[in-house]
Amino acid sequence: MKAAIRHLKRNRGRSILTLLAVLIPVYSLVVMFGLAGGNLRDMFDTATRLDTGHLQIRHAERRGMGSALPLIKDPDEIISTLDRIEGIAWRTLRLDLPAIASVGERSQAIVVQGVVPEEIDPISSMRGLILAGRYLTSKDEGVVIGEELAKLLKIDVGDEMVILGVHPETGVGALKVPILGIYSTPAAAMGRTIIQAPLDVARRLAHSIAGATAVVVRVAGVTGPWDARRIDRVVAELRAILPSDYEVLDWRRLAPQVASYMAIIKPALFIFAAVFFGLGALVVLNTVYLSVIERTRELGLIISLGASQWRVIRMILLEAGILSATGAVYGALAGVSLVWIVEAFGGLPLPAAFSSMMKAIGMNPVLHLRVSFSQVALSAAAMAGVAVIAAWYPARRASRLEPVEAMRYVG
Amino acid sequence: MSDNRLIETEGLHKVYRTGTVETPALRGVDLELHSGEFTAIAGPSGSGKSTLLHLLGGLDRPTSGETFLEGRAMSKLSKDELAKLRLTRIGFVFQAYNLIPVLTVLENTAFVLELQGVVRAERIERARKILAELGIEQYADRYPNRISGGEQQRVAVARAVVAGPSIVLADEPTANLDSGTSLELIDLMRRLNSEKGATFLFATHDSRLLDRVSRLITLEDGRITSDETR
Ligand SMILES: Nc1ncnc2c1ncn2[C@@H]1O[C@H](COP(=O)(O)OP(=O)(O)OP(=O)(O)O)[C@@H](O)[C@H]1O
Ligand SMILES: [Mg+2]
Repeated sequence: MKAAIRHLKRNRGRSILTLLAVLIPVYSLVVMFGLAGGNLRDMFDTATRLDTGHLQIRHAERRGMGSALPLIKDPDEIISTLDRIEGIAWRTLRLDLPAIASVGERSQAIVVQGVVPEEIDPISSMRGLILAGRYLTSKDEGVVIGEELAKLLKIDVGDEMVILGVHPETGVGALKVPILGIYSTPAAAMGRTIIQAPLDVARRLAHSIAGATAVVVRVAGVTGPWDARRIDRVVAELRAILPSDYEVLDWRRLAPQVASYMAIIKPALFIFAAVFFGLGALVVLNTVYLSVIERTRELGLIISLGASQWRVIRMILLEAGILSATGAVYGALAGVSLVWIVEAFGGLPLPAAFSSMMKAIGMNPVLHLRVSFSQVALSAAAMAGVAVIAAWYPARRASRLEPVEAMRYVG
Repeated sequence: MSDNRLIETEGLHKVYRTGTVETPALRGVDLELHSGEFTAIAGPSGSGKSTLLHLLGGLDRPTSGETFLEGRAMSKLSKDELAKLRLTRIGFVFQAYNLIPVLTVLENTAFVLELQGVVRAERIERARKILAELGIEQYADRYPNRISGGEQQRVAVARAVVAGPSIVLADEPTANLDSGTSLELIDLMRRLNSEKGATFLFATHDSRLLDRVSRLITLEDGRITSDETR
């Protein structure tokens, strides 16, 4: 061990290169994991907080509904079922209704989300997104709309618009409502089409006094898609106990963009890791190989004196192992530090040009990083392992040197 | 004499092959060495002295023929078995580059003991003891490049005998030394021979060494041409 460290010190430059060959991939991978994880959490959060919840209970779809969701006539029955099972953090009723918003000559297809503002307040970030005016209370007779829709219809807080609700089960309903507030969201499509109204307003529009289209549920202890199993458990339980009139949809169905992002990012990270590990391994192989060549005579001496092949292999692997382990630990520390620092400053705001693009595709323009301990540990351990495996070839070469020839070698 | 027979060779041949060129280095060497001998192999350059030492020490394999070390046929041993045999039965002193540069004199001396798996405290003690016997304990903590060539060769001798081998094979141990230093080294090895019964076999041109051996074997063109005990 002492001798190994002295060897490494003797050729500092090469040792540092080997160390970096492990450190950089580990660092990069931790940061990549951080970006992917942060992104995923943001997407999941945006989708499940603002819109879908972790799961929804809806009336099983009937034919001929178009874009409208079937009405649940008696949602209280579901609420009382939910109150009886474990692991539910939160639930609320919602009534989504396809509609047309018009102001004078201008009109736009929208979806009216009837919500209970007091209930969604602690979960939804909607109140924080209000740009102008104010957010709703359940007593209100008005709505909040997205800035994109306000721009399209050229209306502002205090103006009125006509909403024409169309539901195949109950027919057409029309209301004239004031704009109480305007919100701004990273998701531009949402800003154009989603308006929020108190549940009672939506019910009037749908001619359904007690109805809803969905019970939106959040499950306890879920911080991101990585906690999906908790959600799955609740989904399975609900499916078992709810009457077959109802269907239970989880976030994968409700926010397919999150699931498909996950499906893309996993192989992408895997390829990224493979490429970086491969490059790191090549550098390690090369530097260890050079050090074996350079020490041919010394290795010849050691073999002459009677070192076994395995002993020589161990010696070389020990040196590579010390460097790899050090590189992996420092790479992981550097990566985790970066994640930690970025998060301590509240994320990394993207440059303006980028941020509008990100907004357009519904992503948060502030980059957040998130890594799990197992991702960091796995990246570090895997790279260190790959490095030691890469050192195996030169180590084996070293162990097979012919002692007489090796001692005659002049570098 | 045959009761302390240490090494015996039968018709050792060695042909070096480089490309299509074949260089016969040994052409049938039959030889017996006994414990306690202090023997030199002399002969002109290229006569095969080093080659013979390498074969006797299990560093290389003959093209044909057999070497018995303490009755064991060396050609039957695997690479690792040969390594083990070198480690436990044979001490080596080479002409130069005997020492591992990153190890101190003490660590170099203790290195074969470490390879043998001797525990740390014991190998340090044994290495210190042999360095003291050879009068070089003051260099124990220096690195090889911080001592003279003569001192390096003494450390090499210390390392060669520290584990108590059956025989020490020394290829031109004095070739890089000046006359005074050579004599000191030769005296040291003689002392080890007479006081501790250590067996030495040299390959050398050095007349100072040749004058002090108890047996002189002459090689010419890969064959033994004379073998005199004095
Ligand atoms: N690795 C090798 N490849 C090819 N030929 C070799 C090799 N080693 C030795 N020889 C040849 O074998 C013959 C014997 O060489 P060896 O080194 O045993 O002689 P030597 O008596 O030790 O000579 P010297 O006194 O110069 O050390 C020489 O002709 C030499 O050129
Ligand atoms: Mg020679």
